[in-house]
Amino acid sequence: MDRPLIRGIDLTKVYGDLVALNTANLTVMPGEVRALIGSNGAGKSTLIKILTGAVTPTLGKVEIEGEYAPLGDPREMIRRGVACIYQHSNLAPAMSVLDNIYLGRQPTSHLGLVAVKRQRQAARALLDRHGITLDLDVAVGSLSTVKQKEVEILKALALEARVILMDEPTGWLSASEVGKLHATIRALKDRGVGIVYISHMLDEIFAVCDTVTVMRDGKVIAESAVVDIDRPRVVHLMVGEKLARESEQAGQHKRRPRGTGEVRLGARRLSKHGVFTDVSFDLYAGEILCITGLIGSKRTELLRTLFGADRFDAGTLEIEGKRVSLSSPRGAIAHGMGFLPEDRHREGLMLDLSTNENLAMATLSRFRSGILLSARRLSKSARLMIEALSIQPPDGNRAVRLLSGGNQQKTLLGKWLTLSPRIIILDEPTVGVDVGAKAEIYAILRKERDRGAAVLVVSSDLEEVLTVADRIAVMVSGRLGDVRDAEATDINALVREIGSQAA
Amino acid sequence: MSTESPVAQGHTRRARLFRVLGPNALPIAILVLGVIFAVAQPAFLTADNLIGIVRQVVLIGIMASCTTFVIMTGGVDLSVGPVLAFGGLVAFFCLNAGWPLALVIFAGTTSGFAVGLISGAVIAFAGLPPIIVTLAALSIVRGAALTIGGTDQHLINSWPDYTFIGSGMIFGVPFSIFIFAVVALVMIFIQKRTPLGLLVAAIGDNERAAYLSGHRTRLTKMLVYGISGFGAALAGIIQTAQVHTAIAIYGPFGTELDVIAAVVLGGTSIMGGRGSVARTLLGVFFLGIVNDGMNILNVSVDIQLIAKGIIIACALGLAARGN
Repeated sequence: MDRPLIRGIDLTKVYGDLVALNTANLTVMPGEVRALIGSNGAGKSTLIKILTGAVTPTLGKVEIEGEYAPLGDPREMIRRGVACIYQHSNLAPAMSVLDNIYLGRQPTSHLGLVAVKRQRQAARALLDRHGITLDLDVAVGSLSTVKQKEVEILKALALEARVILMDEPTGWLSASEVGKLHATIRALKDRGVGIVYISHMLDEIFAVCDTVTVMRDGKVIAESAVVDIDRPRVVHLMVGEKLARESEQAGQHKRRPRGTGEVRLGARRLSKHGVFTDVSFDLYAGEILCITGLIGSKRTELLRTLFGADRFDAGTLEIEGKRVSLSSPRGAIAHGMGFLPEDRHREGLMLDLSTNENLAMATLSRFRSGILLSARRLSKSARLMIEALSIQPPDGNRAVRLLSGGNQQKTLLGKWLTLSPRIIILDEPTVGVDVGAKAEIYAILRKERDRGAAVLVVSSDLEEVLTVADRIAVMVSGRLGDVRDAEATDINALVREIGSQAA
Repeated sequence: MSTESPVAQGHTRRARLFRVLGPNALPIAILVLGVIFAVAQPAFLTADNLIGIVRQVVLIGIMASCTTFVIMTGGVDLSVGPVLAFGGLVAFFCLNAGWPLALVIFAGTTSGFAVGLISGAVIAFAGLPPIIVTLAALSIVRGAALTIGGTDQHLINSWPDYTFIGSGMIFGVPFSIFIFAVVALVMIFIQKRTPLGLLVAAIGDNERAAYLSGHRTRLTKMLVYGISGFGAALAGIIQTAQVHTAIAIYGPFGTELDVIAAVVLGGTSIMGGRGSVARTLLGVFFLGIVNDGMNILNVSVDIQLIAKGIIIACALGLAARGN
């Protein structure tokens, strides 16, 4: 019987009155890929941070290969072979792969110079041993996202990591890239590396993990081998009874292709040189139209153009039958259009401003009286929105930075709902959001649709597309396919269409 | 929680101490310094000296109030010194040309506003870094001031209305202090009560998101540099009226450092985002008290400069811990 690589024993972390982690146990054996899943706020991050030494537990111990490890000491944890790969890249984009792997701890000659040759040999050996192919001399910033993940993995391996913690490693990857990453993970597993795999994507758990640990409300509530558990059971465990029921019901909503029959937004042969070509579609009031496809199929670029944040070279755009030319988001907003960008931190939220202020950000002129900004009307409107979307905690004066991912996303969505948009465009509306918040966001979108808004969603998550869409179109390499009724298609047909020209 | 270890408890107690002290570090420091100076030299607490302190900070105070928005957007304005000199010279030449007082002041402040708008336009529309653009403006505006003013001292003795701005008294309080108070109150009002105040913080926090929320981010950035230039030129008018002379070399090197130090001491992050004009004023008074106290204690100028630098660094370090 192997000894566990790492064992967290009765780990507990208390912040003031909040018990973030309650006597949690986690064990990883050599060659084991263990999924760690749970809603946002379930305690996964706290557990991981204790294992990396970033957080000192209030109670409990961590054992590495049978020895107690000092707690709250990140350098010591790294020395003992525990590495973590975060959702957002920690690489220096302008530096080469080689420099990134050894960043901050280059092997040196006795003169104190960087031993370039030795460094390169070590990196080569590492690549060979783990069957990874990478050009060591290119700048990391020029690599695809999946290759960047591999660089991070290499960086961990160069530290002789025995345990690699991966926090949402596939958050920004396309389906084929996920496949590549999983191949790398299997190779690591064969070498006896233990992996903790945190993801909201249940498909991935079933594809690559051996065992699963489910957390809820700071506790480990279930552990199982992946083969002994199925999807509905996992969702059930993660979100609890009530939400699971709601999420099941969500699948049985009535679809409304072409909504009220009124074309709200019409794209006529839109082209942007070198980006997308001849894109035409009608978006109806009272429907949800989903555009899916691979990352890199230029869907985001299309949305930005529709919103006036970028220009197109040819074609026309019509809103409610009238031709418009939008030169800025300001113009689009004046037409009642809202746009939820994919990257909520970089493009959506002001993280250090309050929830109230963020909710009002697209509609400041509504809260003016004379030259004044009416703080009273602003916070009243925000309070209604916080209640309507059940943003937690319901304190509008807190900085948005302090909210969980799901609640941040609801805040961003609320900013546009405050506008009572006639057209709302969403780019990957549930990226990095837990199962419970996903169900809530779908319900919000349906409500907007039923109110008569025209909803356009771009999503790579086919399950999501099939759940919320009234009509679906696939975008491949800058061209939009036919728009189909969601009832008339299924996941296999979509996958075929997405793959049609990609190969 | 009874389960908390002593180490964790000690940690949270210290964190709590910093949470309470951090935001109030500046008022506390001002009080402590006040007490130290008052004990060391009782003359510190006389009404004359206290009014003197405020009078000393009028110029820096007006400039710091007006440039707080620039720093909140994540920018910086290094050109305040030359703009001060330029504004004063423009006012002098308008006076000389026989313009009425209101027009003189309007022309002087507008010249600063215009310089700021131009720097702001380059920053916002050409996308160049503020530090470079305003550094260039620093050089250009100083050159312009020397071009129109030469190296002469332009005496302003025959316009009592004008010199009243700098040397007049109302109820025993210098008139310039009233101007400072009005500027500070207006800036506080704009920051706390108008959409512009929120928009400035929003741009500093996330300019991209502000743009995608439908705001005119570039025009706003232009405007905040204009306001900063306005403040510098107004300070220039007050200075020329105080000393009855306009010279092209007013606002020497170091003026911009005092102004930026006051804003940053007030807790506005140099990276942009949230900030407060009211707290900038605390920064201004803090620096003013440090200067005055050291003068009263007869500390020599060289030591004063060193001490000031160290105090600023320590205060900033404390503020960073508090956050």
